[in-house]
Amino acid sequence: MNQSYLRSIYLRLAGVLMVIVMLALGASAYLSHRTFEHALAPELSKKVASGGASVRALVLKAMENGIGFKQLFGVEQSFDDLKTAIPEVSYVALTGVQGQVEYQRFTAPPGAEDHFRKPEVLAALTTPEFVPAAMRVGNQYVVSMPVVSPKGPVGMLHVGVGVDFVDRIILDMLYDVLVILVVALFFTLELLNFMAGTRLEASLKALGETIERGANGDFTRSGARESSTTFSALLQMLEAARARVGTAYEKLLHDIEQRRRGPAHERPANLAQVQAGLLALQNRYSFGQDDGATRNREGLLARVRAPLFIFILAEEMTRPFLPGYIKGLLVPIPGLSPEIVVGLPIALFMFIVAICQPFLGAYSERVGNRHTMLIGAGIAAFGFAATAFAGSVLDLLIWRSLCALGYAMVFVAGQAHVLEHASSKNRARSFSLFVGAIMVATVCGPSIGGILADNIGERMTFGISALLALGSMFAVRQLPGQSTTDPNRTAPRAPSWREIGSLLVNRRFMTVTGLAAMPAKIVLTGMCFYLVPLYVLSIGSTQSVVGRILMLYAVVMVVFSPLAAAAAATRERMEHLVGLGLLISGLGGLLMLSGGQVGWVFAATFFVGVGQSLSIAAQSALVREHCDTEVAVMGESSVYGVYRLLERLGNAAGPLIAAVLVMSFGYRTSFVVIGAMAMVCGATFMAVTRRSHQPALAAA
Amino acid sequence: MRTNKPQMVMVAVMVCGFAVGMAGFLNFFKYRSNADSMLRDRLVVTGNAIESNIQALLALGLQFSDLGTLPGTLERERATDDLIMSIEIFDVDGKMLYSTDRLRASRQVAPAWMAAARQAKGADWFVKDGTESAAATGIQNNFGVLIGWVALRYSEDQVKAGTNAVARNIAVTTFAVFLAAAAVASMALLMLMNRLAREFETVESALRSGDPLRPSDAASTGPFGYALRRFFETLRKAEAEIAGLRSSLEQGARR
Repeated sequence: MNQSYLRSIYLRLAGVLMVIVMLALGASAYLSHRTFEHALAPELSKKVASGGASVRALVLKAMENGIGFKQLFGVEQSFDDLKTAIPEVSYVALTGVQGQVEYQRFTAPPGAEDHFRKPEVLAALTTPEFVPAAMRVGNQYVVSMPVVSPKGPVGMLHVGVGVDFVDRIILDMLYDVLVILVVALFFTLELLNFMAGTRLEASLKALGETIERGANGDFTRSGARESSTTFSALLQMLEAARARVGTAYEKLLHDIEQRRRGPAHERPANLAQVQAGLLALQNRYSFGQDDGATRNREGLLARVRAPLFIFILAEEMTRPFLPGYIKGLLVPIPGLSPEIVVGLPIALFMFIVAICQPFLGAYSERVGNRHTMLIGAGIAAFGFAATAFAGSVLDLLIWRSLCALGYAMVFVAGQAHVLEHASSKNRARSFSLFVGAIMVATVCGPSIGGILADNIGERMTFGISALLALGSMFAVRQLPGQSTTDPNRTAPRAPSWREIGSLLVNRRFMTVTGLAAMPAKIVLTGMCFYLVPLYVLSIGSTQSVVGRILMLYAVVMVVFSPLAAAAAATRERMEHLVGLGLLISGLGGLLMLSGGQVGWVFAATFFVGVGQSLSIAAQSALVREHCDTEVAVMGESSVYGVYRLLERLGNAAGPLIAAVLVMSFGYRTSFVVIGAMAMVCGATFMAVTRRSHQPALAAA
Repeated sequence: MRTNKPQMVMVAVMVCGFAVGMAGFLNFFKYRSNADSMLRDRLVVTGNAIESNIQALLALGLQFSDLGTLPGTLERERATDDLIMSIEIFDVDGKMLYSTDRLRASRQVAPAWMAAARQAKGADWFVKDGTESAAATGIQNNFGVLIGWVALRYSEDQVKAGTNAVARNIAVTTFAVFLAAAAVASMALLMLMNRLAREFETVESALRSGDPLRPSDAASTGPFGYALRRFFETLRKAEAEIAGLRSSLEQGARR
């Protein structure tokens, strides 16, 4: 009850806020239109005047050679040349000293002829060196330049530019404004959750719990609740009503006990009957004192979302421009092609995250999650700042390694915090909180990063990432310092080499890991993190566009993942989803055969997003399904540890595989080859898993 | 009911600040990139006109370093645009051949210009360096070989002054939009929270009035209506059972 009610409150609040933000963005666009018109029209008229000066010089040169003004030849051709040089030109006319049109080209604005005859326009003939400001005539700005030979005024050159040039500039920004709106929506939900939601949710939960407990006949006395809850007065009233029943029961119990202890002749005759009634009451209802431990745990759990969101946002912001940034810092490295060198920092980042995680789990357990997160965020902040000042790809490798180490620390400690404060009942919901923070950062980060990189440059954007990582440290400080570990929970441990070795040769394990998880990650990092940013820039597009493409991937994941997770109910369905997911991801790569424009990259990324969202939840669950024997022997954490390690090594291999392909075949073919590889893996996975379901033939 | 009002105002302010601030930021950079590109195009158009003029003279067989009519042309072109401080023509080795600024005619070309020229490999190039800012176009001879550059020097400070004025304008309008949006959003959120508060106050006051175990209909409607009805039903039943047992106990004691 409280969840759906809370969601309805959030939606109402976010909806109202979004409408106001949309109106504000509309007002901002209208006001900037006016500012642009006011500021850019004079600039445009000067640009047009520069071009017009060449036409005027040609006219004067012809007249110097004795050709009459009305006998000029090729004037329209010079107007065409002007239009070629300045495409914004909408109309050009050459008029006589009275303002009558002698030569013209393109579409005249309404009222042009009257304008040319106006005395204030013709007055410019007396000041030949002066270029008057552009004047609005109909739907054009017209710059009128006097044409004056040494013998005297000859006429005027008028060049018109459509007023819609400002509209085009504003329309150009429309996509970015839409991106801002989407990000603002997610930002609103995060802020509502962080600033008010945690408390509101806790209050609603407390209220819902009290009502639910009363309705279910639970009259146990609760431990002291926070008096600052949002609905404290109402809560206290309901608790008082529950306590009234509890007290009445305790008083009855006390009285029965008193009578029972009294002399036998004074005992009521029906005492046994009353005691039986009391027992029945105890069976139906609960009385006494509760512990209240779960409530504290849930409050602590939610606090990890904000620091995780801010930290992951810092890293995600760099996705759209990182490959391009590396390309700008390339230095020759013997034996390595530039394509491989561009892929190296991305692959190294993924590799460090993959190999550090098993060890960092134990480290975090030892020193505490908050401490690990603080150190991780600090290291990453330094890494981002140093990346901003990188001189070449060589030192960039060191700084990105620091970012990777910091990322792994924050990720592992954040995950451990969730595990520590989640009960077995709410573990799935707790992890959705963790994954939710990452997904929202994945939606917001690349798009904002792309816009920032386009406008303030890559180095400054890395600086902002450093500030965000530092900011996350302040949010981390809100987390509890000492862990409240569940004594029943086993401490995480890194898988041993023997376990890794035995799983690597395990056919069932490798079917899920080698044929599904690793190829899926290779497609993700190879295509989305390496090929998309470099290819989109190579065809003349911008980092903002790369950001929008990566944002599309994240939005698709947010929309489709819950649907796919809900559909993955049986093992067979999970296998179908994983196979289908790989086939659809691969289809995304193959789509690049159809065309090389940005639209196709959007479509390819959309398919990759759909494919990944279909398979991601099912893949992880299938490990348990396929390897229950191994889980029983080695333990779930070891089997999943090796699975995650190999999956993340797939992340590291993606950019390198893509780099080798680009080096050999170029960008578009690389998309196609990676897509085809994913499809082959998907088809093989489906064939292998289908065969394993077929009943074995009995011997005759 | 405590309604998180300060937090709601904070959310409204932060979200509006982010969205309107980013929009203002985009507006400024969009203006700057458009103004920059217009400025460059304008200088390139002038540069191309001069380059065509030089090519026409070279086609007549004149030497690149000895074009007698060029200084006059350069002066005329410089006069067409008040942004241009000087027009300078130099060869690929950095030797100044012509300049509308006599003082600079005898100087070597700025190292930043030469570095940009080398990097451009024949294409147009631009340098932003205070009063040494320039836009340049390559000059090719009749065989298509690059023989020099025509550079139009302008003051970046003058351009910056114009940009700063627009930046101020955008900042003021953005701030005004932000203030209005944040105020309206805060009020809207507070109104919503007040409505939410009223829903709970209705339940609260209904519980306060009369028998707490027999709440009025007001308490049984609204977002918690069904759950509250179940709550009080169970409470009533439990109380009745306890009262029944007590009454049995009392009756047994009297007998």
